[in-house]
Amino acid sequence: MPPSIEFYCPCLASTPHPPPPHLASSSYSFHPLHNLFFCEECDAIRCNRCVMVEVSGYYCPNCLFEVPSASVRAEKNRCARNCFMCPNCRNTLTVVPSDPPDTGAAIVNTVGEPPFFLYCNHCRWDSAEVGITFEKPTGLAAQLQKYEDSAPESLEFERLKEHYEPHLRASPSTGPAAPHSHHTHTNPITAAASSALARDIPGVGKYTPHSSSVGRNRSSRNKGNYNEVPDYRARVEIGSSNFTMGGGGETDVDLMKHLEDMSEIATLEQRWENSWMTSLQTGDLKPLRIPLHSKKSKRCPSCRHILIKPEQKAQSVRYKIKLVAANYLPAITVSLPHLYAVLAAMRKPGKTPQLSDIESTMHAGKTYSFQLSFTNPLYDPIQVRLHVQRSLPSSSMAEDGGGPSEKRRPPFSVTLPSSAFPIAAYAEAWEYEDDEEMFGVEEDDFDGGGGGRGGGREQGRGRTKTIGILERRANVTVIGGEVAISKEARGNIKFNMLVSYTYRSDDSEPSEEQSTPSRAQVQNREPEMKTFSFYTAIDLGTIIPREEHKSDAMEY
Amino acid sequence: MSVPPSTPRRHATYDTTTPIATPQASRAHSSSHIVQASPHYTTTRRHSLYGTEDRIILDPGSHIWKVGFSGEGKPREVSYADKDTGSPLWTLNRAPDLIDREEEDRLLEARLQTSLRAVFHDSLLTDPKSRKIIILETPLLPLHIKDMFARILFNNLQVPSISFASSHLLALLAAGRVTGLVLDCGHLESTALPIYSSRPLFPHLRTTPLAGSRLSSHLKALLLLFGTYHPPIQSLSAPATQYAPASARATRVPEELLTDTLVEELKTRCCFVGETIDLDVRIASAAAFEEPGTPSSERAMSESGFSGTSGDEGSVDSTSQQTPTSSGFSATAPSQAPSSIGRSPASEGHLQSLANLYTRSSTATDLRIRVEPPPSQQTGTGRGTLLVPGWIRERAAEVLFEGGDVDESSVAEVILDSLLKVPVDLRKSFASGIVIVGGTAMLPGFIPRLHAELVRAISPSLMQGATTPTGKPRRPRPSTHDRYAALRPLIPYFAILNNPAPPSPTTSRASANAGKSPAFTPATMAWIGGSLAGVLKIGGTEVAREKWDAADAQAEPDEDDPMDPLIQTPKPTGWSILPDWTRSPLPNGAPSAKAGPITQPVLNVVVSSPPQATAVGA
Repeated sequence: MPPSIEFYCPCLASTPHPPPPHLASSSYSFHPLHNLFFCEECDAIRCNRCVMVEVSGYYCPNCLFEVPSASVRAEKNRCARNCFMCPNCRNTLTVVPSDPPDTGAAIVNTVGEPPFFLYCNHCRWDSAEVGITFEKPTGLAAQLQKYEDSAPESLEFERLKEHYEPHLRASPSTGPAAPHSHHTHTNPITAAASSALARDIPGVGKYTPHSSSVGRNRSSRNKGNYNEVPDYRARVEIGSSNFTMGGGGETDVDLMKHLEDMSEIATLEQRWENSWMTSLQTGDLKPLRIPLHSKKSKRCPSCRHILIKPEQKAQSVRYKIKLVAANYLPAITVSLPHLYAVLAAMRKPGKTPQLSDIESTMHAGKTYSFQLSFTNPLYDPIQVRLHVQRSLPSSSMAEDGGGPSEKRRPPFSVTLPSSAFPIAAYAEAWEYEDDEEMFGVEEDDFDGGGGGRGGGREQGRGRTKTIGILERRANVTVIGGEVAISKEARGNIKFNMLVSYTYRSDDSEPSEEQSTPSRAQVQNREPEMKTFSFYTAIDLGTIIPREEHKSDAMEY
Repeated sequence: MSVPPSTPRRHATYDTTTPIATPQASRAHSSSHIVQASPHYTTTRRHSLYGTEDRIILDPGSHIWKVGFSGEGKPREVSYADKDTGSPLWTLNRAPDLIDREEEDRLLEARLQTSLRAVFHDSLLTDPKSRKIIILETPLLPLHIKDMFARILFNNLQVPSISFASSHLLALLAAGRVTGLVLDCGHLESTALPIYSSRPLFPHLRTTPLAGSRLSSHLKALLLLFGTYHPPIQSLSAPATQYAPASARATRVPEELLTDTLVEELKTRCCFVGETIDLDVRIASAAAFEEPGTPSSERAMSESGFSGTSGDEGSVDSTSQQTPTSSGFSATAPSQAPSSIGRSPASEGHLQSLANLYTRSSTATDLRIRVEPPPSQQTGTGRGTLLVPGWIRERAAEVLFEGGDVDESSVAEVILDSLLKVPVDLRKSFASGIVIVGGTAMLPGFIPRLHAELVRAISPSLMQGATTPTGKPRRPRPSTHDRYAALRPLIPYFAILNNPAPPSPTTSRASANAGKSPAFTPATMAWIGGSLAGVLKIGGTEVAREKWDAADAQAEPDEDDPMDPLIQTPKPTGWSILPDWTRSPLPNGAPSAKAGPITQPVLNVVVSSPPQATAVGA
């Protein structure tokens, strides 16, 4: 795994300090920068786990039809037009006409011959197999609607509802009058239970002589409303003989017993939404309506300001409001110079670099340098100060947990420049004078750390300077750091780093509000400086424990 | 609706890193301006898509979640609890160490949050702030998980209210009854709970860990021992040995091949439950095949060539003939397996004898399944072939019906134990009103088999084999034998409401009940009951967000002072306000004056609980 950096969103924690990065649960608190939002009002980072999401529009991902919200419910979040999915491969189905009759091609119908059916271009499934054909090639969902309305589960459900409803309506009057909670009133089962309590409970009461026949006793004696619930007569009983397939009974067992090919049986995912007993077989699956997607706007959980608001049209991928953290926080990328050297060396013989080779580059007991490159998105220069969070909280936790003694000492120590360093302001590309340092080149620049790309400004690196500012160009500053791995270290080199940056606040006068680093160009140059801090977690990779690499250790 | 629409307000949980001092009202105001920029947007905002009384019904299992809206006949979406990995969210175990457990809880909470947010934002596409939610809980849902649900829903998603409803009760409602005994055979455990006139008799519930998860691990163990794996052929130009006797390429099943996903797929697509094996055969065959080292895995393999049914009698002979011819991996094979699957050799011997027994009695076809080779063996071309013997498909679920263990009684024994606990007068009602729900009950043949097992477990024939007529136990486990003598008169009354193939009933009572429930699938019955309860507005006690926030604010000052790491109660917030049957209705210090003398702990779920009363009073 290449070295990575993720940004901390404090939404999950009660303290502003991030959890120790080595815990598995911590990964949910750190996010890549491009997933984060920034609330200007709260001056805080927000992430997808804490923002409030609202649906601002529904659309079908297939036909891009914007479904009015009124019909979303009736259609159960599915496309109500012609969009269907193949039940086998989830590909989009197309409507195809039947073969034209052989009588002669004199009249060519533009839409095709009437029995239309759905056809999967991927797996060749077609809906005629399950007996679904259409007279018209449009409005297929409406044509199918009548089947869905008469689906056995909804009919049975309505019947169940009607079965219980009279008892529920009757019960509040007979229920105990004491509690005025509306729940008690609307909860007839509660009422039934309470009234039942007033009597003796069968089997508990000592003097009730109805040991033999509870049933008779029920009907004859009690007028408590719970007893008035008669047994429900199902519309379709599961044990009835007309249930031949899919009931989990003998026919299914026989089918399974003589199964020759697993693909005859539908997968769990294809069946599990059926609440009605249906066939197990793949051949009986019905086409699926395509589920709708939604356009979501996102709000800050704290101040409810909108962070993300997409354009309404389904075809558009733009946003009306887009407050993403990448516009406010300096982007940081991590690289390991020696890793690029390894990569370059591996590229030369022409063999493909194995992932394991890349990982196995950090040996215990050695010191490695790494580089952090900061890119300033703001129109103002910023001053950045780095601070590595001590891994003390983590190690203290480890020893509480009875961890072995090696955990007591931090397995590695990180050295970073402690003084603030500047990053120049972001400017549009054409404002830079030296063309050769355009964007796009900068990423490739890192392997120059090992290879030595030459050039005047790189001579600092020639002197094996590894800590401090390595490079400044445009709005990018590259910082070098070092990690010293202790001899018995193992696990991942993962540490939290606090990044504080100071920027010039542009709107100091509007209110007492905390201002935010805005991209808006500053008009009045009052040098009011603001500082914003955020945590990051840097993962440099896995340490190769020392025992496994005795030979490597011999070298020095 | 009695609850006024809640105005947007800042929530106490969200700590902003920098203090802000803008009044809330103006913020809400300004945001509404933004909202009105788009006319369409305002319409969607004003008219809620669903009525406020439409509840969201969430059936959150440890493995599979079902979500949908009340009043609908099927869930909108069913998915794995953790969509990314498909692994269960929680297990029956918790880390014994406090630090580890805290970490485990944090991890669980984060995963739960992901799943819950996905429910609203990806599955239902609805705004959580306007949706009341009914959560189906099994009686043994751990309280810390229940608290976690409430915490995430209230704090992160800001739902207006939550109610918890017993999944067993709701499943019974979906079956059209208010009295009955519900067995929920889910992923982690099977729980039997008698319910009388819609009141769950929680003290009589019985549970066993024999459920879907155990079935999966058992299936995996069987496949490791007796399955066969054919790696993909090395090159396409080689002669097609694919259907040759396969001794050349057939290997034991590599463990990394049997991923959880594959085992799950095999379980749901290949397995079924065969009929009871006759006891005499069982004993006789167990004696006959007791000697260890019988290479039954090999036999299964050799039979695999014929795709038809393997002969019942002939298989023994064919095995003895083929034993010398087939090579290498057979006799030594079983010894490798236990270490890899963490089973003791004793249980392996047990598996071996079971295999001998089942192979003879099973007529199910063997299945060849194309599988991706494990990552370590990506050498050949294309896919490998996993051969699943037919008897494994048929008899893997036997593990659920093998009782005898004190802690892990079979699913039938769970029902019987629960019946033993209920008052004598009610037993007949419960025995003829059994409802089987849960995903594991979806195995074809499960419910008819369970009925047979119920009868078998208490029928006198078994007793003769196990005990002397005087009832004096012959074997060292006396308690397990003839435990159910008291239930023997109930045999003609046993009726499983959702039995797809009810045996011909002997009593009118059984015939009035067996197989009479609607043909809902066992897996979704609890959800349908929830949908029903939601539309009938009987979804249990609601906990409103105002109550939660108030309790949260109360608990806030306390949260700092327990510096003692040992007293770190997981989360003190909300403990008092979530109703649960295991909690006393009068929690310490809860301001509940109206609990009333009639409220008993047993009824706490259905009877309105004290916090509700105070909500009205306040």
